[in-house]
Amino acid sequence: MKKIAFHTLILAFCCGMISSAASAEDVTCFESRKGASEVTQRELKPGWPNVKCSPKTGAVLWWGDPFDGTVPMGEMPLLDKTAAAKAVVKPRSEKLNILPMCGTACHNGVGPKFMPPTLPKDKNPKPIPTMEGLLPDAKNLQHGRGRIWCLDCHHTTQRNKLVDNFGNPVSFDQPQLLCGKCHGDKLRDWRDGIHGKRIGEWASTGKKRWFVCTECHNPHNVQDGARNRGFIQIEPETPPQLPHGMKDAKYELLHGVSQH
Amino acid sequence: MTPNENSPVGPDQELSSECSAQAASAAPLEPVQTTTSRRDFLKGGGMLSLSSLVGAGALMAQTDDAQAAIEWAEHFQGNYRLMTPQEKAEARARLERRYSAEYGKKVTVDGTEAKDGVLMGYALNIRKCIGCRRCVKACVAENNQSRGPNPGERIEWIQVLRMERGEFSKEKMDHGYPEGLGIQVGGNAYTPAGQVLEGQYHYEPKAVPEKDATYMPIACMQCEKPPCVKVCPVRTTYREADGPVVIDYNWCIGCRMCMGACPYWARRINLTSPILPKEEMNPVTHYLGNRPRMRGVVEKCHWCLQRTRQGRYPACVEVCPVGARKFGNLLDPESEVSLILARKNVFRLKADLNTFPKFFYFYD
Ligand code: HEC
Ligand code: HEC
Ligand code: HEC
Repeated sequence: MKKIAFHTLILAFCCGMISSAASAEDVTCFESRKGASEVTQRELKPGWPNVKCSPKTGAVLWWGDPFDGTVPMGEMPLLDKTAAAKAVVKPRSEKLNILPMCGTACHNGVGPKFMPPTLPKDKNPKPIPTMEGLLPDAKNLQHGRGRIWCLDCHHTTQRNKLVDNFGNPVSFDQPQLLCGKCHGDKLRDWRDGIHGKRIGEWASTGKKRWFVCTECHNPHNVQDGARNRGFIQIEPETPPQLPHGMKDAKYELLHGVSQH
Repeated sequence: MTPNENSPVGPDQELSSECSAQAASAAPLEPVQTTTSRRDFLKGGGMLSLSSLVGAGALMAQTDDAQAAIEWAEHFQGNYRLMTPQEKAEARARLERRYSAEYGKKVTVDGTEAKDGVLMGYALNIRKCIGCRRCVKACVAENNQSRGPNPGERIEWIQVLRMERGEFSKEKMDHGYPEGLGIQVGGNAYTPAGQVLEGQYHYEPKAVPEKDATYMPIACMQCEKPPCVKVCPVRTTYREADGPVVIDYNWCIGCRMCMGACPYWARRINLTSPILPKEEMNPVTHYLGNRPRMRGVVEKCHWCLQRTRQGRYPACVEVCPVGARKFGNLLDPESEVSLILARKNVFRLKADLNTFPKFFYFYD
């Protein structure tokens, strides 16, 4: 128990250092998921910012360069009609604070230093206090309503990798290969540009930045409690100007159906 | 409107028949004649625009001033659609000079024409929309709308409508009219669930989506049979070959016929001089798209022509955090809109009006 607490401390300390690296003056805004898809504003060329942000909500409103900070998506089944350089993503691993330690400090899977010293014997849910300290969502995993657990998604021995249906490792930058193993219909729509989103060139042969599943969904919470929805609530932008002469929008509060 | 004007003709044919019918007002050959006919038109319509006449007079009196010369030329230029490529280039160069001086940076006014084999289309996933209004603000950041604090100075092209989910109650179920004789009107009849186009625009909760609401964004539908185009007395708004309905702001007389004709409330007028701070102005513009407008002209969504003609997605498509907005080429079976039309359940808003929008709503 002592050992576990010690590890938690070290990890928490490292995370703190990583996340406080950004300078205080920078304007940071978020793309899709607050706290998980932040970008720092800067100028690509004089008068041309990488992003324009909403002064009210801190959301990105506009991209000066849709491909800024992207890497090739990598191999994707049935995306073979698209040339590799034309499908790009923002790597998720850069955003994950704990990830750099996952495969090294703890679950490195080899030798006497291997921590924790035994591998889980099965994929069944069990309490994991160390992880709960690091990842509060792990206390109450809201995905699958009790029918899936950590190792359905995370690789057993390579903890810096996700896992596919065959037990092979999948990069954190390609969560679609993980999610797609259970949500095949969504993967299909995503691949066709119907689910999720892509920015850049609209032609079907054009270069696009694809938003990966975890840029929009928190894999550890796709229910949001009683709301039961996969996309977390966000603050709305300001409403339109009131019609001339109106002091407030109370006139609207009556619903539109006449009573008689 | 003669019956054969309603027959399905291509835009080119329609254009030429219209030219011969209204040559005096729409196809000026000589600038001075143009003004005369436009003035006559305005008088005839009882919509005499005093300010523009006074302005023109003042401008003509001091043509040696370079800025005034630009404005003079601009004031008396022809209808963009009917200009020769040479005249179009001159008109754009003139604007580039004026805007660059006005906004203190290099402003480009693009004139890229429709590309062969492209018919733009749009689809919106009504189930996904969470009513966050990011599309509204992205549109403003991209398209140089007026953004002042006073009435009429803030223009937004996209409206997001909040509709109630409705609440059915046991109490209401057997009350109504006539009482006791078998209800004809009553019960939960007035429960406004699933309303279309009636609701709230000014909602301001802490977070969206709200539990008891659904949202529906509306903007220009880029109709294949646009009523606004039919009513425009000066033919300054028209459908481009690749789909979007555009406006030559310079030729617009601000009569607002199009605003009345549009069943989707998509058009806005600059009642005041637009307020557009220099540092917020988007310098990449298109003549028929997001170039700065002047007082007294109508504007609306044009599917970000300055972006889409260069291959880039519209700003609202890119910004939508839930990925509800989709855009592509309807003639390309591999495009995301074509795949949506092939696979999802789609509908057009107010389809009964036969406006044939190229903007589709869908759900999965
Ligand atoms: C549905 C699949 C899934 C399940 C189940 C799941 N995870 Fe994850 N986990 C992911 C994905 C995908 C990421 C990457 C998240 C991202 O890109 O934002 C991740 C990231 C993480 C991270 C790194 C977070 C960071 O910010 O660096 C940790 C730690 C983690 N998971 C622990 C767990 C634990 C512990 C459990 C079991 C309670 C668990 N996960 C269950 C899919 C899953
Ligand atoms: C091991 C299988 C599995 C994997 C991998 C998986 N999911 Fe799930 N997911 C489920 C199950 C099971 C449910 C629960 C369905 C239910 O009971 O409502 C679910 C539910 C969801 C929901 C909510 C659906 C709803 O209607 O409530 C979302 C959103 C979701 N998953 C997204 C993802 C994403 C994103 C990933 C990849 C990071 C992912 N899933 C990976 C099994 C999986
Ligand atoms: C641009 C953001 C975005 C991306 C990227 C994205 N989704 Fe979603 N997804 C959504 C939204 C929004 C919903 C609707 C959730 C709601 O109703 O609250 C959703 C819903 C879902 C659901 C629940 C079923 C449903 O239709 O409500 C699943 C499962 C899901 N997504 C899986 C995925 C997978 C797998 C990927 C990656 C291949 C992915 N999503 C990528 C935004 C996204």
